[in-house]
Amino acid sequence: MSEIIIFGAVTGSIYAMLAVGFTLIFGVARILNLAHGSFYALGAYGTYALTSIGGLPLWQAALLSVIGVALFGVFVERFLIRPMRKSQLAVLMISLAVALIVEQMLFLVFGSEYRNVPAFIDDKFTIAGVDIAGQRLLTLAVSAISIGALYVFIQTTRLGSAILAISQDPEAAQYMGIPADRVFCLVMALSAALAALAGIMAGPFLSVNPSMHLLPIVKAFAIVVVGGLGSIPGSILAAFMLGYAETVVAYLVSTSWTEIVSVLATLLMLVLRPAGMFGKRAAF
Amino acid sequence: MSLLTVKELDKRFGGLHAVRKVSIEVSPGEIVGILGPNGAGKTTLYNLITGFIPADGGEILFDGHSLRGLAPHRIVGMGMARTFQLCRPFVGMSVLENVLVGSLGPRVPAGDLEQRARGLLADVGLQDKEQVPAEQLSYGDQRRLEIARALATEPLLLLLDEPFAGLGSGEIAELSALIRRLHADKGLTILLIEHKLREFMKLVSRVVAIDFGAVIACGTPEQIVAHPAVIEAYIGKQEEEHAA
Amino acid sequence: MRHKTFDAAGGVIAFAILALLPVIFSSGYLIGVLTVAAIYGIWAVSWDFMSGLTGRENFGHSLFIGVGAYAAGFLNTSFGFGPWWSLPAAMAVAVLFALLMGFPTLRLKGPYFALAMLSGAVIMQRLMLIFWEYTGGEEGISGIEPLLRSPLHFYWFVLAALAAVTLLLVLLARSKWGLILRAIRGDEATCLAAGINITFYKIASLAISAAFAGLGGALYAHYQLQVSPQLFAVVTSITIITMVYVGGMASIYGAVGGALLLTLMTELLRDFGEWRLMIYSLILIAILFFLPNGFIAPAWRSLRERLSSASPSNRRKTPAAAQSHAIGGSATGRETA
Repeated sequence: MSEIIIFGAVTGSIYAMLAVGFTLIFGVARILNLAHGSFYALGAYGTYALTSIGGLPLWQAALLSVIGVALFGVFVERFLIRPMRKSQLAVLMISLAVALIVEQMLFLVFGSEYRNVPAFIDDKFTIAGVDIAGQRLLTLAVSAISIGALYVFIQTTRLGSAILAISQDPEAAQYMGIPADRVFCLVMALSAALAALAGIMAGPFLSVNPSMHLLPIVKAFAIVVVGGLGSIPGSILAAFMLGYAETVVAYLVSTSWTEIVSVLATLLMLVLRPAGMFGKRAAF
Repeated sequence: MSLLTVKELDKRFGGLHAVRKVSIEVSPGEIVGILGPNGAGKTTLYNLITGFIPADGGEILFDGHSLRGLAPHRIVGMGMARTFQLCRPFVGMSVLENVLVGSLGPRVPAGDLEQRARGLLADVGLQDKEQVPAEQLSYGDQRRLEIARALATEPLLLLLDEPFAGLGSGEIAELSALIRRLHADKGLTILLIEHKLREFMKLVSRVVAIDFGAVIACGTPEQIVAHPAVIEAYIGKQEEEHAA
Repeated sequence: MRHKTFDAAGGVIAFAILALLPVIFSSGYLIGVLTVAAIYGIWAVSWDFMSGLTGRENFGHSLFIGVGAYAAGFLNTSFGFGPWWSLPAAMAVAVLFALLMGFPTLRLKGPYFALAMLSGAVIMQRLMLIFWEYTGGEEGISGIEPLLRSPLHFYWFVLAALAAVTLLLVLLARSKWGLILRAIRGDEATCLAAGINITFYKIASLAISAAFAGLGGALYAHYQLQVSPQLFAVVTSITIITMVYVGGMASIYGAVGGALLLTLMTELLRDFGEWRLMIYSLILIAILFFLPNGFIAPAWRSLRERLSSASPSNRRKTPAAAQSHAIGGSATGRETA
């Protein structure tokens, strides 16, 4: 039981980092970014490459990875997505194409075997009678801190208010002189950075291979549907719900069935309450 | 023998009581107007009657049949057609094709659909713009297209939602004449929402005034204009606007 | 001469050439490439019919392909049915999945529908791996029987299937079905107000699309003689979508050209091995930026115009009439089929 509580929280925290970034860029720019999973993958691979090939210490490798992925996200937004903004589907296609290109490049450079991203903490701890890797605990902490920092940023800074304004009414925000394009850039960078961070934290104990970007996208989508499109609190709550649901299923039934949880949750929510739990706009 | 009977129709959106036990009767061949300030619940009323949103209570009888719970396309198939306040033509399709889409229902007589559609376009004055992509039409022409498409479904009752909105005075006069012509030539029963008083009053034979979701008055145009509740609803609103 | 005559003539000529190519060049390799191209053609036209016309891009088309292929595989190996039973079975299974996925997801707006279908395909792929004891896991099912022993005869059969499916879907697209689906793309509320049961048409078109995708999947299974979870991959869906973009969205016949072109290109790029998939994605991005209307259907349309205005019956008309005849065909903004 304690295991479920703790491991469920860890899983939920990773999903939260993924989902918050995903829902943020959606809420602000109405973009469903299928390359979001690629940010996750690049974070993990970047850290791996910089440590094992570049020989850098883990802290530096992680930091550089996050920054690098954030810049990549800005690049994708500025040059590939922004010109296509008029068609949501074209944006979807382009982001998916980017995701596939990244997957292919990772495959070409690193091959398809699973890689080992080094962990920040190698020790194991015992909490409430449960043995848990330090890295997993650290993931929980990093997730809480980063999302918390993001929340504070949005609530207290001017840029944060700009983000909120654009989410609610893009046109009105523009009339007020808020530079939408610059805000999109920033949000994309934050979104990518969060995803990369998730990849770096989770890399040591989740699988790292070129096609690792797919499941996070499917799950992020499921979480955002359940939590409500564009709602950050909804995404966080739904992320933990999914994390716990999967953990419970893994312990009580079998690990094979965990994947089905997300798709079932998505379909059920879509049928029963398409706006999600806290969604302001329905998906239709 | 009424064509449309709305009895105590009721709808809430969370805390907002949008339509409060509204009752209306429309007899065949009438042109009835629904008058009310913005936010009075007129379009919601239309959405309820035409099945776009489900009602919380009350009854809707059309041509003897109950409409509660029916899907919008079924209601159209029974002879009730509507237009929208904001014209939304089928983008990427020609004017003729737009009308053809409305010609696929069960009430449409068998025969050459294209020829019939062309006839309808001629009725509304769009016969020269048959092949024009619908989104390239002027606003007034898009209104006419909406009406042509509604007519294509061979309705008994036509519900118009603020057809004069966004039009200049010349266009309003033309559209008004068109509506009168359609009523006279085709014997259509028409229900008309507007809040621009002048043209509206000349067109309708009877008015139902609505404010805050409830019927506040019913009668001929002359009676309505003199009705104290209507005056308060309109002038009261005017005072608020002046103050703001 | 009317458009339809030109189109019919063009279609007959194109398919005749395709049928004769392997006879002229007598190469087993060519037969193989053309067979795969034709199967992709079936997948592409089936996608275009639903997604191209309604504008609801389905990113999970591979789901229907995969379940059709696996149905064929199971039926033929585990249950010992003769290979010809696969075809209707695959179509039925695909339609079933279309109904299952369609009901909850078709209410959603474009991108969400796309992503929901993508999720379906991804999960299905995972399921094939998770339940490896039943599905053969990574290796899938092998030992499937061929439908026809001669590769050339099988190719002609697939080609005939492609021609039949294309013809059927083009006819549907030009009938009231096409009108309704394009109207759905235009504005759903207005469609309802015009008396159209949009739910029925959306689901039905998805089911039709799925049926032929499944058919293609079964044909693929009986060609490769094995099926694997790779069939469900996102790459398959994206390849098909790229083919349709190249061919010209909503034209249906353009998708055939797109399939041929891209399959041939893949073969030519065989030496580039693993770079192929990346090149596909880059092509897709390039098309989206520079040629969003594709080039096969637009090319055919301008060829048709040129032939049409040069034809004797048009020369008899006055120049003004001939000009308006030429304009009339493509004045509806984005011309379809």
